Amino acid sequence: MDELISELKVKIIETLNLLDVRSADIKDDAQLVGGDLGLDSIDVLELVMMLEKDYGVKIDTKELGVKVFASVRALADYVYQNRLGSAH
Amino acid sequence: MSNTGVFITSLGIISPVGQGLNDTLDAIRKATRGIKPLHLFPTSHTPPLPVGEVGSFSLASDLPRTHALALVAAEEAMKHAAGVPDAVVIGVTTGGMPFTEELLKRGELDSKQYEYHSTGSVAECVARHVGCTGPVLTVSTACSSGAVALKIALEMLRSGMAKRVLAGGADALCRLTYYGFHALQLVDEAGARPFDRNRRGMSVGEGAAILLLTSADDPPDNAMAELLGAGLSCDAYHPAAPHPEGTGALRAMKDALSDACLSPADIEYIQLHGTGTLDNDLAEAKAIHALFGERPIPPLSSIKGSVGHSLGAAGAMGAAVSVLSIAHDIIPANAGFHEPDPQLNLIPVRMPTVKDINTALVNSFGFGGNNAVLAVGHPRRRKRPETPVCADRLRSFTVLGSACLTAAGGLEQTIDAMRHGKGLPGIVSFSEIVKPLSEKYVRRLKRFPRMALSLAVSACGASATDGPPSSVFLGTGWGGLSETYDLLMNLFASGERFASPTDFVGSVHNAAAGHVAVHFKSTGPNVTMTGGDCSFEQALFSACLLIRRSDKPLLVIGADEHHKILSPLFDASVLPGGPPSDGGGALCLKPATPAAPRRVCPSFMAYSPNNDQVILALIRALGGNRTIREQFGAVMAGIPAAQRARGTAQLEEFLSITGYPHPVIDYRRFVGEFASASAVATVLAVSFIEAGEIPENICDRRKTPLRGRGVLILGFGHVVTAVEVVP
Repeated sequence: MDELISELKVKIIETLNLLDVRSADIKDDAQLVGGDLGLDSIDVLELVMMLEKDYGVKIDTKELGVKVFASVRALADYVYQNRLGSAH
Repeated sequence: MSNTGVFITSLGIISPVGQGLNDTLDAIRKATRGIKPLHLFPTSHTPPLPVGEVGSFSLASDLPRTHALALVAAEEAMKHAAGVPDAVVIGVTTGGMPFTEELLKRGELDSKQYEYHSTGSVAECVARHVGCTGPVLTVSTACSSGAVALKIALEMLRSGMAKRVLAGGADALCRLTYYGFHALQLVDEAGARPFDRNRRGMSVGEGAAILLLTSADDPPDNAMAELLGAGLSCDAYHPAAPHPEGTGALRAMKDALSDACLSPADIEYIQLHGTGTLDNDLAEAKAIHALFGERPIPPLSSIKGSVGHSLGAAGAMGAAVSVLSIAHDIIPANAGFHEPDPQLNLIPVRMPTVKDINTALVNSFGFGGNNAVLAVGHPRRRKRPETPVCADRLRSFTVLGSACLTAAGGLEQTIDAMRHGKGLPGIVSFSEIVKPLSEKYVRRLKRFPRMALSLAVSACGASATDGPPSSVFLGTGWGGLSETYDLLMNLFASGERFASPTDFVGSVHNAAAGHVAVHFKSTGPNVTMTGGDCSFEQALFSACLLIRRSDKPLLVIGADEHHKILSPLFDASVLPGGPPSDGGGALCLKPATPAAPRRVCPSFMAYSPNNDQVILALIRALGGNRTIREQFGAVMAGIPAAQRARGTAQLEEFLSITGYPHPVIDYRRFVGEFASASAVATVLAVSFIEAGEIPENICDRRKTPLRGRGVLILGFGHVVTAVEVVP
């Protein structure tokens, strides 16, 4: 799980072009959207696209998005449980 | 004060529920729902998403669908009209995209195939078709474009510069919008259900509505309705989402009412923007509750459950349908509505309802927080208020600050490079663009919006004492080319599965002006004009029409990015082998008093094909030969490479008739070939006037003193324009 969290942090930074952010700046349990990173709804949708492309995970409602993008840990949990080829 | 009114004397409409007035009225009466799975092109969705697609119509096969739809509507509007309109104003967002995306998909590299790509080519097509030889303007403010076009037309008529204006909007379905809105999760897979509790989004649509507006003291016999007023505002909040409290929408509604000398109690019907997205309908409902307070709210409905959201056409289609409501006493049904949403606390009209309507509001909101509201009334059944006409007509602006970007750098470096005879054509360096910007803020912006924002910040930096600009006007020939290209190429590379939401929002032509508004919290009108090589002049022209006398500063920006693939395909003046170039200019302005220094005045704009009198008209508008010789110490002439022959002939005619004795600067030879090069020329002209001279090596080896005279910026080619800059 820790590996997936680290991997997702790197992907978030790359996908959203967060030039002044390092992986260590994103805390596992910190609020991901509307927090210090300055992410908004368009960023969330850009991450939705990345998750579908790279992990085969679909997030197609706002309600689900709010839950999944609560923090990097919540995101990793969701990806872990729903990724294509996962045992679950 | 006068009692001149602006009347809608005819109109043309084509939508998914019918072509022409009669069919449309019939569809309204029968509550026809025109939303079905997309049929127009194959998609990666099974089944395709529901859309508002126009059925078969006579398509001029050599034109993209947007142009064809616009021509159908324009033809109907002009069918019984006597004479030619003095101006054409069209709101559009897709332009030639229906062709362009297919060409790019198959890797077509022949630039001739892309000749109708520009949004501006739609209005030019209409102008050519109806024989217009006056101003031809293109508004691209996303989903409010059609309504903003009508507001600009209204002000042209009120100002007296035109007697008859053909105005409206057109947009066609294409992959860009079909996949783009889906990527934003704004599409309802069950079809749009505006204001319903279970609504999940919009249905992308297409169509065109074009109205012929005529100014007259008394309603003409054929008047169908009167355009009483209009209000524009900007949320200055977010690139795509509306302000959650609907504050911008509320301001636009209030402004439309006050512009029409009406109070909320006068409104008998509201045609909602009502796209069916969660956020739009909620913000709109809040704005309506705030507008009416404790007073009863009139009947309201959205037609987007029937016809879908036709984007740039939507505002004009709303206006056209409200004209039918007024002329035929009918309120259209809000198709798709079943269950009231307690959060909205508004119940739209469910079935077509017969009712006398004398006054209606038409709401139209778009990306970039761009709001436009129209007030439409019965031409005879109500007492018309005395409206001030020309009383506060603006003639010119005074310059508070300016900035430009060229391959040399900012203004100082640009002049320095010109002075040393260094060639300027080239690409603006990235470090120069981002110099005044915070990296965190612009991380999502690609080249064009960064240029626009950078110019805005630099131009306003010099005039901090006057406060931030309250309105923003931006001219761009091509908009965000990088976003458009990246969106389409990634879409095609993924087998049409993935469209980047960020690129889609950025590809909308008015995205950059939206970012400028958010940066400065500019909540006044936010207008993007995309009329090819005279986009900057169109922005300046619109500013003059829309800004009332006030002390608040405004921004007028012109910018274009060079894109190595798209620029040579789209812009016929970007020749293969020629130096690629881009850049722009921005002016922070304030409405001028006659005695104010450094005044800028857009004084002429005319569509020139089939008009052999255009140069004579230009000279007349500038006050005649002698005035031109005495008032202007230099002419800066803009002749796009693609129009060198025609433009050079026009310039020579101008010089020979006026006997112009002062220097002429062929400025594209310095700054390069890009659509908004005239913005750079205008900023340079302001700096020459401040210095009182033109530096050495520009028009002569020595400095050229201006001796208190101004500089005249002329644009030649398809459109002939004049901007006066005087000390």
